[in-house]
Amino acid sequence: MEQQGLRMTETKPGPSLFKRNPPIAGEAEAIESAKAGDAEAFSKLYALHKRRVYTLCLRMLGNVSEAEDMTQEAFLHLFRKIGSFRGESAFSTWLHRLTVNLVLMHLRKKGLNLVSLEETINPSDDDAPKRDFGSHDPQLTGSVDRVALERAVASLPPGYRMVFVLHDVEGFEHNEIATMLECSTGNSKSQLHKARLKLRELLRQPCTPQAGLKEAAQ
Amino acid sequence: MTSQNSNSKPPAAISCAEFQEQLPDLFASGGSGVPEDPCLVAHLKTCDNCSALVRDLQYIADQASLLLQPTHEPSDNVWKRIQEGLDSDRANNASQHPSHS
Repeated sequence: MEQQGLRMTETKPGPSLFKRNPPIAGEAEAIESAKAGDAEAFSKLYALHKRRVYTLCLRMLGNVSEAEDMTQEAFLHLFRKIGSFRGESAFSTWLHRLTVNLVLMHLRKKGLNLVSLEETINPSDDDAPKRDFGSHDPQLTGSVDRVALERAVASLPPGYRMVFVLHDVEGFEHNEIATMLECSTGNSKSQLHKARLKLRELLRQPCTPQAGLKEAAQ
Repeated sequence: MTSQNSNSKPPAAISCAEFQEQLPDLFASGGSGVPEDPCLVAHLKTCDNCSALVRDLQYIADQASLLLQPTHEPSDNVWKRIQEGLDSDRANNASQHPSHS
C-alpha cells in the first residue's frame, strides 16, 4: 500500500533487524486493541516507541523541531494505517521503516535530492575523510563512549550520517538502504565506509563543543 | 607446518593506498574487515598504520550498537498534537458517516 509515496508494505527484514527489534511485552495486545480504535492502546504504543522513533528522526535530521514534527507524522501515519499491519515483521521494524520513509520524503520536499548521494550530498573536500597513510595516533579501541560517538555522528555530513544511522545503528542492509535512498548498493557501501573513516577522524580529535544533538541530550 | 608449498611465491607487496582501497569491500555485507587475499594479509601483518585503521573501523562499527538505545525523548507537545490529529480524524469520520456517530 502506498500513500503519498510512502511505502506501507511489510517487507521481510534481515535477521539483524529481528535481533535488534525483539517483541516487547504487552505490545501485541496493544496493537490488536489499537486496530479496534482503542485510544488507550494508541497511548501505550506511543509510550513504548516514542523514544526510538524520535531519536531516529533526530539523528537523521539533526534538528529538534523537525524531529518532533516527523515523530508526530510517523505516529499519525501509524495509527491511521495500523489495520494494515499483519505481523509479518517485527512491529518496530515496520514502524522504523515507515519513519525513515517519512523523513526521506520530508527531505526531498525540502529540496534535498537523495537520488545520487555522491552528487548531491557528498561533503566538501574539507568534510571528506582524510586518507591515513602514515600517522601513528593512539588507537580508538576502548576509548569511545556513547556520548562521544553521538556527538561525532551528529557532526557527520548529512549523506554519511544517513547511511551510518540506517546501517550501523538501525541495522538496515545495503540493498534496503539503496532502495530507500534511491541509490546503488555500491554507493551505500562507499558512503558507509567514508562515514566510518570520518567518525574515526572526529573521535581522535580533542573533545570540542559541537552542535547537533547536544541540545536534546539533557 | 605451512599451507604454502615450495613453489608458491610470497604475496606481492602492496602500498597502504592499495590496501585502503580494498577496505569498503572488506567491511561490506557484515564483513569484519579481516582480509583473505594473501597480499592484503601480508600488508596488514607488517603495517602498523593499516592494522590500527582496521581495528578502529571494526571498533566504530561495533560501538554503533550503543546508539540503538534511545536517549532522547520528544516533548509532551508531540503527543498532544497526535491526539489532536486523531480527534480530528474521528470528527471527519463522524461527519462523513453520521449514522455511525
